[in-house]
Amino acid sequence: MNSKYPKNVGKRIVFVTILTAAWFGLLVFHLVQLQVIHHSEFKSKVEDQSRHIDIIPPKRGTIYDRTGNILARSVPCHSVYYIPSKTEPHPVQLEKIQRLKPVLNLTSRQVQDISRRIRKNQSFIWIKRKIDPSAHTAIKNREIEGIHFLGEMKRVYPQGNLASHLIGRVDIDGKGISGVEQKYNDLLMGKAGKRINLLDAKRREYQFEILEKPHPGRDLTLSIDETIQYIAQHELQKTVQETQAKWGSIIVSNPASGEILAMASCPEYDLNQPLQSVSQLRLNRPIHHLINPGSTFKIIPFATAIESGVIQENETFDCRGKFIQVGYKTFRDHKAMDILTFPEVFTYSSNIGTIQIGRKISQEKFYRMIQSFGFGRPTGIDLPAEEKGIVRPLQNWEKNSWAFLSIGYEISVTPLQILQAMNVIANGGILVPPRVTPDLSYAGEPRRNQPSGDRVVSESTARLLTEYMKRVVREGTGKNAAFDKYDIAGKTGTAQKIDRATGAYSAQAHTSSFMGFFPADHPLLSIIIVIDEPQGGFYGSEVAAPLYRKASSHIVRYLGFPSPGHSIKTIIAADKRESEDSEYK
Amino acid sequence: MMVRKKIKKRAVILGISAALTAMLILTFYIWHQAKSIHLGYSIGSLEEQVLELEREVEKLEAEKSRLLSLERVESIARRELNLVFPEKEQLVFIEKTKDKNRP
Repeated sequence: MNSKYPKNVGKRIVFVTILTAAWFGLLVFHLVQLQVIHHSEFKSKVEDQSRHIDIIPPKRGTIYDRTGNILARSVPCHSVYYIPSKTEPHPVQLEKIQRLKPVLNLTSRQVQDISRRIRKNQSFIWIKRKIDPSAHTAIKNREIEGIHFLGEMKRVYPQGNLASHLIGRVDIDGKGISGVEQKYNDLLMGKAGKRINLLDAKRREYQFEILEKPHPGRDLTLSIDETIQYIAQHELQKTVQETQAKWGSIIVSNPASGEILAMASCPEYDLNQPLQSVSQLRLNRPIHHLINPGSTFKIIPFATAIESGVIQENETFDCRGKFIQVGYKTFRDHKAMDILTFPEVFTYSSNIGTIQIGRKISQEKFYRMIQSFGFGRPTGIDLPAEEKGIVRPLQNWEKNSWAFLSIGYEISVTPLQILQAMNVIANGGILVPPRVTPDLSYAGEPRRNQPSGDRVVSESTARLLTEYMKRVVREGTGKNAAFDKYDIAGKTGTAQKIDRATGAYSAQAHTSSFMGFFPADHPLLSIIIVIDEPQGGFYGSEVAAPLYRKASSHIVRYLGFPSPGHSIKTIIAADKRESEDSEYK
Repeated sequence: MMVRKKIKKRAVILGISAALTAMLILTFYIWHQAKSIHLGYSIGSLEEQVLELEREVEKLEAEKSRLLSLERVESIARRELNLVFPEKEQLVFIEKTKDKNRP
């Protein structure tokens, strides 16, 4: 049969067919390899390159003062990060980072760190967190491949250093690490959400989808009053500067509710730039620093003496001697005294007289009273890391411990614990724990100022001690604390500090303090002031008492000179408008 | 031989009308869907704007709080306006009486 094709055409067709089939076979094999054998591996690679899951940070709750002023708030900002390319060489990628260096003020060390991370093939690298809006715009306009932004929240503190120790701060991830920010972190924090970003071949976002919505944190209102806090802090700062003291602290509270209206430490620091301060400055001294209370502690032996009935009010004590010897220790008065009655010993703060009183009271009752007033255990204030103080157990007392304790030594307490003890007297013998959030138990009505808590001493004892404390300010060591219009009940304190070199009490270093409440018969505000190592004058009467007078007079002016019987809630919340024309507003 | 069935004119009109109505409904449905999607996008975008504006308000409130901080106000009063605290003698206190005519 004659064919119109050459002889070997058939073979060629067969050959081409086999070749094509083999080629197809190879293709199919490779396809199977990609789609079946290495399916999961390549799928994850594709997903890595085309999708990115972001965490949506929740909005942290705002912290307000009791009058609704913002103390801390989270505002939106951007953080910039880099998703390295799997294909681009390292120098090209580093070049992109170098372009950001001047805009973000990156240090060479930071750039080196990012370079190292790129080499390690990390899939996500932070460039800088919480950048300025101007830097965000500048970088966005440059449209650099692989550079992305994440919306975050930045904590701002509009009042700067106001109540900085009490409010505390958050870390870079917005988690509370001190103060109220730490204590109420769970409430303020909220819950983060998630979103998925779809990326194109050049790793630019072209679409996103919310996987999980973020839940914002709850707002928090503190019992702090911005203006009272400012007055207290401002006056404290002036005194610390004038007396060249190491540090000072002040607490203003409402004794009936235990609400803290102001709490300050000096030196202070700016919450917006916390890392520029040394960690010692960030100590909230009213609850973190232990001191010997000195004469402010005398309310305890006096309360014990009255409660146990071992001393009559008209009983006298010979305080004319220059000293009194108890065991190996000699105790002195700050000046020559006379024969003093029981209340006069308190009024003139005689150590010799107080030790004679201390000798008459049972050590066991004295120890129980110290515990009842809340010493040796945390007050339970809603702030983190509160010091509990040091109270030696009765069985470990030395022979003369009772004498030391009578005048406020051999015991370490926080300023807040002393305030709490004084508030027992102000509250007619009832211990009300302090708090930095408002007392909601009697929100609105009824408008009264009745404390509720554990009874420590009888009402008559508290009333008697209040009278003694009034005399301290009227005619005793606390005269410098007196100011017009109000009867003040107070007590001064001056304690020698331990000299670390010798281990003995120093004659040069003192802790000066003053505590007091007013109006004495219907207490509205109680204040404690502690000044550490003031230079020049060091007595509580000459350092802390004048500060008490200045701070208190400014505060009552701001409150519109409240009349006795008003509750703090009524004055500060309801009648606030009436005092708006005062000096500080 | 095929016999052509005579279709009534009325049936034709009815058929065409039904087809037109179906098309109209379909068109309306598609338009409605498109409009819904478009509105959905608009709502989403507006919600985003509302969120942005709310955040802006919060930011401005914080800024206002910073500008009105007592420390700043006092420093401006002292430095720029040369104001000082009044002395005790310079203060006059007026007793407030309730004015029944005032609202």
